[in-house]
Amino acid sequence: MLGICLKDFSIAFGNTQILENVSFDVKDGEIVTILGASGSGKSTILRSISSLEDKYKGDIYLHTCYLKKNHNSCATQDIGYIFQDYALFPHLNVLQNITFALKDLSKKEKEIQADKLLELFDLEEHKYKQIHELSGGQQQRVSIARVIAYKPKVLLLDEPFSNLDSILRNKTKIWLKGIIKEFGFSAILVTHDKKEALSISDKIAIIQNKTIVQFGTPKELFSNPVNKYVANFLGDINELPKEILKDFDLKNKNNDDLIIRVNKTFLTKKKNEHKLRLLDISYCGDYYELSLEFTKYNNYVIIINVEDLNGYTKESELYLDIKKENLILIKP
Amino acid sequence: MKYFKKLTISSGILTLLIALPALLILVNILSPNTENWQHLKDTVLSEYVFNSLYIMFGVAFLTSIIGFTTAYITTMYSFTFSKFYHYALILPFAIPTYIISYVYAGMFDITGSVTMFILDLLGKENITQVYYMDIMSIEGAILVMSLVLYPYVYLISKTYLIAESASIIDASKTMGLSPFDTFVKVIIPISRPAIVAGTILAVMEAVADFGVVDYYGVPTFVTGIFRTWYGMGSVEDASKLASMLMLFVFTLIFLERFQRRNIRYRSSGKDFAPICKTPLKGKANVFAFIICFIPVFMGFILPLAQMTHWFILSYEDVIDEDFIRILLQTLSLGLGGSLLITMLGFIFVYNVRLHKNKISDNLTQIVKLGYSIPGAVVAVGVLSFFSHIDNAFNIFISGSILSIVFAYCVRFLAISINNYESGFSKIPQSYDDACKTMSISETGKLRTVIFPLIKNSALASFIVVFIEIIKELPLTMILRPFNFDTLAVYSHELVGQAQLYESSVPAMFIVILGIVSVLLLAKKMIKD
Repeated sequence: MLGICLKDFSIAFGNTQILENVSFDVKDGEIVTILGASGSGKSTILRSISSLEDKYKGDIYLHTCYLKKNHNSCATQDIGYIFQDYALFPHLNVLQNITFALKDLSKKEKEIQADKLLELFDLEEHKYKQIHELSGGQQQRVSIARVIAYKPKVLLLDEPFSNLDSILRNKTKIWLKGIIKEFGFSAILVTHDKKEALSISDKIAIIQNKTIVQFGTPKELFSNPVNKYVANFLGDINELPKEILKDFDLKNKNNDDLIIRVNKTFLTKKKNEHKLRLLDISYCGDYYELSLEFTKYNNYVIIINVEDLNGYTKESELYLDIKKENLILIKP
Repeated sequence: MKYFKKLTISSGILTLLIALPALLILVNILSPNTENWQHLKDTVLSEYVFNSLYIMFGVAFLTSIIGFTTAYITTMYSFTFSKFYHYALILPFAIPTYIISYVYAGMFDITGSVTMFILDLLGKENITQVYYMDIMSIEGAILVMSLVLYPYVYLISKTYLIAESASIIDASKTMGLSPFDTFVKVIIPISRPAIVAGTILAVMEAVADFGVVDYYGVPTFVTGIFRTWYGMGSVEDASKLASMLMLFVFTLIFLERFQRRNIRYRSSGKDFAPICKTPLKGKANVFAFIICFIPVFMGFILPLAQMTHWFILSYEDVIDEDFIRILLQTLSLGLGGSLLITMLGFIFVYNVRLHKNKISDNLTQIVKLGYSIPGAVVAVGVLSFFSHIDNAFNIFISGSILSIVFAYCVRFLAISINNYESGFSKIPQSYDDACKTMSISETGKLRTVIFPLIKNSALASFIVVFIEIIKELPLTMILRPFNFDTLAVYSHELVGQAQLYESSVPAMFIVILGIVSVLLLAKKMIKD
């Protein structure tokens, strides 16, 4: 069953076209992440689904209900929106924030419902605290509890981890994924963090040039990116000179670019056709990042990560070590 | 009709109403010259222009020097009572220009307290035996106005110096510049837009003044409007003078905005470097103390002390049934006017927040211009506007409370709007979005989110507008209904009847309210 469906969705602000002909589906219980550069229109999709933007063209469906630029025709409160800044009301305490959107319930019933969520979200001791007394992670949990309290069918999450430090971000990511699956929500998450997208999503949609260029599971996108932009977005890549193809007896009918993932690129001291010159060594903690260029081909600087320097210097004779199955021919 | 459209239409109609008096005034500049106008042109117009310009340049000179010097010293150095001066230097704001002019006239009178003190000090018997400046002159007017208007320059320069100067001073130090060279070659040039912006605000107040120039007998555009209106009975010519003054003020506004475009306050982020104040010792410490003491003493302590003395001597004679009636009239006018203006201000600013388009924003900007139009000009415009209505419908509202409250709206809505704008800027747009996604109705959002969060701004708007209404003199004098006085008008009338001591009683009430307003401003400064 479909959770959310966008068909030929386009939106412009003034004379600036933001998105054009965007179509994708989110199945019931699925987590879909929209990945794209800053200003690519990711959040605009969420805002349109939740009717915060209404000047779009195309259609949006929520289950079988058609959101015709205003979700009043659908059941109200079917959509829960988690804001980047959490949008918690500072004049209300935790309990009042969580029960804020609960309708047709007595005060007691509201509190019972909030207590369940406070227990589930480990926030019981903060029940009567003001928002400014909470940490960033606690505030985020309150914002999610506030939305879950009114039992929406769909969750929209706008950069939900951007205000958290890296340790808390990882912890919250696992927790949130569990919550979404436990409640069976369909969810759309917007981020520009590839690691976040790969680890939390059932599917990923990548926006490039005002539209979705690839939509699929994280594995599909990582293994078979449709273009260099997608490949680069989901992991570090090295662009290689096409002449290398001859060594592996590979043909390039469409004159595509040749790339390889950085983690599949190695160094060897064993002589071969592809001699490299070491340009720079950067210490990155767990590993060293080497920047190298081909002695034979101009304008190709590649990155190779090594755990040990093995005595590499700018004078060392170094050669490229790659395997045929790791080479990817890809559209520019 | 959608909720927000109703708001926009309301704002549009209100803007039109508020702008109409100003438009009526502006139209007059094109009206054909009358005989009276020719007479004005031949006799006093050049004097009005000269005196207004003289006051403008004189006030600009003094306020910029006092304002910037004190801002610089209190920002860059720590010295005895420097923290006290940080806020005390804005206290002269509490005293309206016309009140300080009465007090100074009394103190420097031939039998005044300051005159007697100087004579005692010099061992002379007659003031003519020593050089003595006549305070009731154009130079005296410039001095007393500057003493209470310099805080404009002080506040803007100080904010600018705090935000901008730390890293620049550090940079000039690393390049080996002496403190004097840093001041002359770096601080003054970078502070120029702030000094000019503050000075122009002070000048606008000075040019719009009626109380000081009327009492000191200095003919300016504003006194000219009154004289033409009441003396010559010529509404057209008074309007024409008002239109010229308004154009002049609009030129100043343009200049002020032009200057402000160069002020880019750094947001308080990671790149904000706090100023490391240099501690002063010995002579430098005493010098800084005295430099800051002089304006606080002359602009606040001395006039307040003199007023208090006069108040004690005369309050029993002044506070009677009539005075209580005037006090109650003033309070009810202030309360009613500020309540209405606070409500209207909310409509304008909330409309901008809901709509986020140029129309709503422009409507608000037009209404905000009202504050810069001198009270006398607003009064002439409002009277002219209501006279048309009176004639059209055969009613009489031009001399009623309605016209005076309407004029207050024209003049003071900007204060309310500024307060709300500041308040709403602290309420993220995501709160509105969150309410919408949670299907909270507009009324529900207003009741549960917007009102609780904006109530402090509404209260601040109410208090500041209330105090401005209480202080207002020329507008109230022209538009008040027959036999309807306010404290400001009563004080001015008593001064006109040479009852200087008695005038301190209503003036004291106004100054106390002014102090409340300044304390609110200081509280905001601490908060910011």
